[in-house]
Amino acid sequence: MAQKKGFPMPLEVEYPKELEGWEEMYPSHYLFSKERGEWENRQFWYQDKIHDPEPMPPLDLIFHEAWQISLSQYTTRVFCIPPAQGIAQRMVGCYMFIAPVEPPPPAIIEEKAKLFGKRAFYIFEHYPELWEKWLNKFQALGRQMADVKIPEELPKYVPEELVLPAPQGYYASYELIEAFNMLVNQMFKGWQYHFEMLNLTYLAYLMFADVARKLFPGISESAIGMMVSGADVSMFRPEAELCRLSRLAVSSPKVANIIKSDASAEQKIGELKKTEEGKKWLADMEKVKNPWFYISCGSGWFYYEGSWLTKLDIPFSYMKSYVERLGKGEKIERSLEEISRKRDEIVAEYRKLIKSDEDKKSFEDAFKTVRGIYQFAEDHLFWVEHWLHTIWWQKIRDIGKLFVQRGMLKEEDDIFMFNRFEVPELIEELVIAWALGEGIPLRSKYYMAKAEKRKRILEAARKWNPVPALGIPPEEVAEPFTVMLWGITTEKVQEWLKGMAVVPTEVTELKGFASSAGVVEGKVRVVKHLDELTKIEQGEILVCPTTNPAWAPIFTKIKASVTDIGGLTCHAAIVCREYGVPSVTGTGIATSVLKTGDTVKVDGNTGIVKILKRA
Amino acid sequence: MPYTLWFQKAGKEALGLVGGKNASLGELIRADIPVPPGFSVTTEAYDEFLSEGGIKEKIEKILSPIGLQDVTSMEEASQTIRELIRQTPMPNKIQEAIRSNYQALSQVCEVPDIPVAVRSSATAEDLPGASFAGQQDTFLWVRGDKQVLDKIKLCMSSLFTARAISYRIKMGFPHEKVLISVGIQKIVDAKAAGVMFTLNPLNGDLSKVLIEGSWGLGEPVVSGQVNPDKFVVDKVTKEIVRTISQKWIECIFDPEKGMVCHLDIPHERQELQCIEDEEIHELARYARRIEEYYGCPQDIEWAIDKDKPFPLNIFLVQSRPETVWSQKKKEPVLGKKSAYDLLMEKALQRIKIGS
Repeated sequence: MAQKKGFPMPLEVEYPKELEGWEEMYPSHYLFSKERGEWENRQFWYQDKIHDPEPMPPLDLIFHEAWQISLSQYTTRVFCIPPAQGIAQRMVGCYMFIAPVEPPPPAIIEEKAKLFGKRAFYIFEHYPELWEKWLNKFQALGRQMADVKIPEELPKYVPEELVLPAPQGYYASYELIEAFNMLVNQMFKGWQYHFEMLNLTYLAYLMFADVARKLFPGISESAIGMMVSGADVSMFRPEAELCRLSRLAVSSPKVANIIKSDASAEQKIGELKKTEEGKKWLADMEKVKNPWFYISCGSGWFYYEGSWLTKLDIPFSYMKSYVERLGKGEKIERSLEEISRKRDEIVAEYRKLIKSDEDKKSFEDAFKTVRGIYQFAEDHLFWVEHWLHTIWWQKIRDIGKLFVQRGMLKEEDDIFMFNRFEVPELIEELVIAWALGEGIPLRSKYYMAKAEKRKRILEAARKWNPVPALGIPPEEVAEPFTVMLWGITTEKVQEWLKGMAVVPTEVTELKGFASSAGVVEGKVRVVKHLDELTKIEQGEILVCPTTNPAWAPIFTKIKASVTDIGGLTCHAAIVCREYGVPSVTGTGIATSVLKTGDTVKVDGNTGIVKILKRA
Repeated sequence: MPYTLWFQKAGKEALGLVGGKNASLGELIRADIPVPPGFSVTTEAYDEFLSEGGIKEKIEKILSPIGLQDVTSMEEASQTIRELIRQTPMPNKIQEAIRSNYQALSQVCEVPDIPVAVRSSATAEDLPGASFAGQQDTFLWVRGDKQVLDKIKLCMSSLFTARAISYRIKMGFPHEKVLISVGIQKIVDAKAAGVMFTLNPLNGDLSKVLIEGSWGLGEPVVSGQVNPDKFVVDKVTKEIVRTISQKWIECIFDPEKGMVCHLDIPHERQELQCIEDEEIHELARYARRIEEYYGCPQDIEWAIDKDKPFPLNIFLVQSRPETVWSQKKKEPVLGKKSAYDLLMEKALQRIKIGS
């Protein structure tokens, strides 16, 4: 096999010396090891650019710790997808690498097939009521997390009411220990829920895509995507709320003028508070803030992304442009009925093209199955990655504040430089010092130096491009996420192998998935880090490692999007189709080959990006 | 029985009179498809021409002694018969009928001596492939009564190529029972032209229209002399997947020479897409309508007029049933499967990713 010499083996990776010490940032089981070496060498590891295009801050690893367990267990132990196993994770110089685990022995596959038939099918048949239940329990979990009490300070003496007439029995020291433990548990639980129906959703999609391709061998991925995707999903609600608030603002000229002004969000809120209409509008906004402003400005995976809640300037700038567009008589909302009607039409037209009645029936059955459950792919994203994560960030920062208060850390965000096994150590040292009494020294220098060193390593890792994959590519994969979400195919692997040898300046054409139809030419804007997002100008082509629906309003600005990674129904593909923006996903090398200012032609019908002129 | 019939007057019910190709043009017009105007010279005219001119008996005499193995004498017989048909004048009443239709056509088109395409249109099932008949007897850019009459006779004589004769002998069809009609159709002075299928003939995908086209008249595409541009259009989403080829020659009418010529395509036009996207979509729309009208996949010839504005510049000049996939695709692809079966199948499947 040609690949054998292609990718290095796990323990052969060479790291730049600036990364020295990266290993200690993560739990030791996240590192490749000699003891598991034989097994590790048999798996195919590739970089997870979808969720972690950037180096991993230690505490942010918690989401991944949680999904490795949850995603895998649903496949292996809960719904028992017969030949599939879980997805294993390892850290490679601050980057997350993942591997679809090799299939189990044949006897296990047989056993699992029986369980799968019974369990999985039940879920498909009862999806609507199960979704209701899911949402209820998930919202309850989020409320519990929001209710976790973080002490505002470690008081010199506990307040009287906690002692008399009957002592509470536990105090700030314990409360802080418990709070962090609870937050960790709740996050793990949230991620258990995250995959409750997602594996089956992806499997249903792959099944339907197969059916469509058997009936229409040349059907495009974007056509399949159009048939299954829903319009009325939670992920699009935040934007819809902004549209609604913008319309509300327009109905009062005073409010509209304030929203349209160039002031900061904070100044605008100050101005609004001065008038009755403004107060009314603000009250309306407050009402929808939870949950609809609990949306990450990025993917929801990194602490530094911030959310609409913490960066109000972002929703306010969107509303400014909406109000301006309303002033020009433009329509700002996407018509959900229109989208749904169009989707139904497409399905009906394909159905009409099927010749035999038996095939028609099978197609309908397959469609009904995927259509029912597919909504989960789009709905869970808002509730887990955005809503729950936003609550988590707030709570963790409250703990960070305590460390700063006590001089243990310089900034509250430095807490994210310690992994979830290390944070309890910091907490313990803090509460010990508080409990021991006056004049107890803390190892502040030790922690501060550690945080600084780790920030430097992460910065160095940002500039380092790891190999895209490690080990030997398998001949086949049965794990649904690997194919669908990460888009791992023969072509992809070949592309990576080629990519390792290419000189970026010599490339004239990139190939990826044709994930949203249309052809456009324009200037490139490379966005590798989320803070560069605001630089995007009208009519540019967004080139990035991966996108997500939280960037929604950006998609009204851009002409096309090109990503390094992402399968057929990755977040970027979904949004681009919703907005009718041409998109090529999973090119593997777009961000390393293209530079801001290059002129390219993006063909969302064929998946080809041509470089027309270098900047 | 009429000697001539306007296309729109003769659909599939008149197949015996006007032949398959002409009848299909009649059907297209009825389905509201833009077809260049024209008329058929009927099998009745052919039959009477051969009887009254005494050609029938002569043919009989020439052909009766010929055996299947006798290749040389069959070739000679073919030459003699075709020459005979060409030399014998048509009966006056038939000539009159043709002339008057041709003049009427010129008037309708507001061009004196309108240039036309003259094509044979076979009625008999004995001709094995349409391509076999079609290649030899299409005459482009025919103008004036005399030319038109001459080319009609040439078309009629194509029933007596050596290959056609030998085929009938082999199959035991009597020569005198086999009839031919000829179509006279206003020619489209094409910017680009070609062929399209209402499915993708490469994989039988019914959700696609495959359009192939090149600069100029469609003949080089039909006969495979150029590598055409290829467009696969999704019938539902209207997505176009395109392959633009390097096109070396085009077939156009040369007014100086007064004939259709093959010319080299200038370098700057060789790799240009020969039809606009809006024209592609319009063609695909017609393809769907024609397929729906006939109820089966079709193989269609089209042309885009040089001078008319879009969408009036689009013409369909022929349609016939697609044969390969239409016959193959009778049995279900998936079969009777419940969502449960399909899902189980998928769950057990492994996806090949290694090479």
